[in-house]
Amino acid sequence: MKPRLPLAVVSGYLGAGKTTLINRLLSEPHGLRLLVMVNDFGAINIDADLLAEAGDDTMTLTNGCVCCTMGADLYMAIGDVLDRDTRPDYLVIEASGIADPARIAQVAMAEPDLVYGGIATVVDGQTYASLVADPLIGAQIERQTSVADLVLISKLDHPDPALTLRLGVQSRAAVVDLAERNALAPLLFGGAPRTIPMVKGQAHAPYVTWSSSSPIQLDHEALLAKLNTRPAGLFRFKGFVAGPSGRGWEVHCVGPAVSVKPISQAQGTKVVGIGLEGQINPEQIENWWLD
Amino acid sequence: MSDIVVYSAKKIITMDVNRPEATHVAVRNGEVLAVGDARCADQWGTVTHDDSLKDAVLMPGFIEAHAHMMAGAMWEYAYAGFHDRIDPDGKLWPGLTDIDAVIGGLSDYAQGLDDDAPLVGWGFDPIFLKTERLSKKHLDQISTTKPIAILYSNLHLMCVNSVALEMAGFDHTTNAEGVIKGPDGTPTGELQEMAAMFPVMRRLNIDFRGLSQKETSIRAYADVSRRAGVTTVTDLYSEMEEEDVATMLRVTGEDSYPLRIVPALGAMSGPKAIADKAEALAKRSTDKLRLGAVKLMTDGAIQGWTARIKSPGYVGGQPNGIWNTPPEVIFQLVEELNSRGIQMHIHVNGDEAAEVALNAIEAALRKHPWMGHRHVLQHCQMMGRDLFTRAADMGLCCNIFANHIYYFGDQHVAMTIGVDRAERMDGARSAIDAGVNIAIHSDAPVTPMAPLFTAWCAVNRQTTSGRTLGHAQQITVQEALFAITLGAAYTLKLDREIGSIQTGKRADFTVLGDDPTKVDPMALKDVPVLGTVFGGRVHLL
Ligand SMILES: [Zn+2]
Repeated sequence: MKPRLPLAVVSGYLGAGKTTLINRLLSEPHGLRLLVMVNDFGAINIDADLLAEAGDDTMTLTNGCVCCTMGADLYMAIGDVLDRDTRPDYLVIEASGIADPARIAQVAMAEPDLVYGGIATVVDGQTYASLVADPLIGAQIERQTSVADLVLISKLDHPDPALTLRLGVQSRAAVVDLAERNALAPLLFGGAPRTIPMVKGQAHAPYVTWSSSSPIQLDHEALLAKLNTRPAGLFRFKGFVAGPSGRGWEVHCVGPAVSVKPISQAQGTKVVGIGLEGQINPEQIENWWLD
Repeated sequence: MSDIVVYSAKKIITMDVNRPEATHVAVRNGEVLAVGDARCADQWGTVTHDDSLKDAVLMPGFIEAHAHMMAGAMWEYAYAGFHDRIDPDGKLWPGLTDIDAVIGGLSDYAQGLDDDAPLVGWGFDPIFLKTERLSKKHLDQISTTKPIAILYSNLHLMCVNSVALEMAGFDHTTNAEGVIKGPDGTPTGELQEMAAMFPVMRRLNIDFRGLSQKETSIRAYADVSRRAGVTTVTDLYSEMEEEDVATMLRVTGEDSYPLRIVPALGAMSGPKAIADKAEALAKRSTDKLRLGAVKLMTDGAIQGWTARIKSPGYVGGQPNGIWNTPPEVIFQLVEELNSRGIQMHIHVNGDEAAEVALNAIEAALRKHPWMGHRHVLQHCQMMGRDLFTRAADMGLCCNIFANHIYYFGDQHVAMTIGVDRAERMDGARSAIDAGVNIAIHSDAPVTPMAPLFTAWCAVNRQTTSGRTLGHAQQITVQEALFAITLGAAYTLKLDREIGSIQTGKRADFTVLGDDPTKVDPMALKDVPVLGTVFGGRVHLL
């Protein structure tokens, strides 16, 4: 059986810096084969050299459908990727500037062959306040941040604590200023993917990582209950958890979102966690998980 | 045999003021040579008389100025709607008006399927289900071995049976928003929105892309159109991939293909790219495939509370709708396309969306004045006299969604915009009085393609419940017939060639069993369509 494909949605209004973010991700040494799907108006500015270098791939999509009632094309394209002989390691969907990213990300909750990689919404720190006050488009922009699991502030020379606070109140997401991070892949894709070693030795990578292998067994209810008490500051948590009678669960938590899917043959319980430095330490994660 | 054929008819309604009625029309090389009596073409030489249509009433071939090619291809699946509908092959699918009829009708259909084929239905409309919702328990009565998926008419919902739930891995542990669960914690079978419908669609091989691109879809579209008396139809949001264009050129190019298609390229990329593509497509136009126009989306749909509407908003207090194209991009697209001389069809359901579109066009026309652009606002459902007047001032056409009054009018009164605004919605009277050239449309497959039914809606404004919604906006039969012929031709810039039966125009006729100008206006929708004549070729049903 092919491994499940994690899907992350990058959203944000026109000009917020979605493409810049994706180009940054492509250039980081995360060792993942990405497939970037772009669903937007205007020219595609994904850096072709970066794509080629990493053996990554890109697909552009349109909004073609009957009066936009379904937006079916995007989902059909996801189906095509799932049907490939070799799936990429991660699917990143660059949503259109006015898309509701939650509508797209929900497919990763529903489709058994996908796993939920979260919604990252990029916010232009200079224009956000005036955009959300716009009587025509404001509410739609605000929704993009309120459904996000991760809000990334772009285009500020210095972090703006007031904006960070505002976005933190408005959404349940972790709020991060892009200028303060030099490695983004851990935030977007999580700590240690299945086969690829964790990128180590990043200068000033301000992340806390933790992993655990244990004989823990949890049934569905117990697992959900456990996840509901995970410590604040544990931004990503993922892995495989053994359940009763040889079955088990694939778990992905991103910010406030929780996705649990069944696996038919569990091979022990192996999980990883990642958080933002200063907000959590490995002991706290360990204490929670083994408690 | 002479190359001039003179057709006789019980009556010919020409829509040409110079000779509103006639009994004979002469055709040569697919073109109208003369209109009048039996001797109308005598001065042109020897003629052949053809009396095969002598008992019929002829009108100019109807023009459906807003529909989608999917209208033909939906019939690959079982129809499960509330209203009677006729498929491209002429088979009547009686409306399924209670839950037993749905179960019975679909069970019969399932008998005809291969053992391993899924049962897929479409068009389901739960208006008769007052207290419960359609669920797997209903569909399991049809089959417990075959996967079943029934799409609702709004295309946002689906109900599936237990087999399909199992195939998609949906059970009590599923936590996806659109997978609805019952009190027992298991999925009820109802799936809301594409994200939740997708896992089932993927496993049942339901692919909506194929529906509007396959050769069979292009042929089915012609069948649907012919049954409705339509000889020119639009496909108002087409992707126009190279492969699709090639297939469309080939199929429509066949002599026996009885339909002219006017696709509008969907504006789904940047302004310059879309203008370049439209220009390139325009050069490849043929008689039966007219390329070069562009369709812009703006807001959503009123019945889904996604249309952008002005104060005081939705009666239930729902938040204002959504933009499918951001207003600033609408301005950029409109400016570029207008400056390049490309005609636009702009989707506007809510009045705020209409206003933004009008503002964008006004700004574009101030920069690049263009007499005769004939850009078209599509749907125009909430435009009042003020907005129609602005449209007239700028030379815009309005294509009004008249069928909405019948299919959704009651719902708009009760649930979306309330009675006073519902009574003036799809206001054809205001538009005509403001001096706008109008067309009226079905938006098939959203509602069935049938221009006489659409005309009936604009004339009578009756809803499904039988209520007359806004007497003041009713138009006359003559005005409605104009809107489905010459008015619609004008919005497509084809009024030089089609829209009336007069010398020099294409010999495209609708063949009717009765005279729509003589029947009771309430019977307009019941005037039988017997077929079409396309370019002088007779295509009876
Ligand atoms: Zn439409």
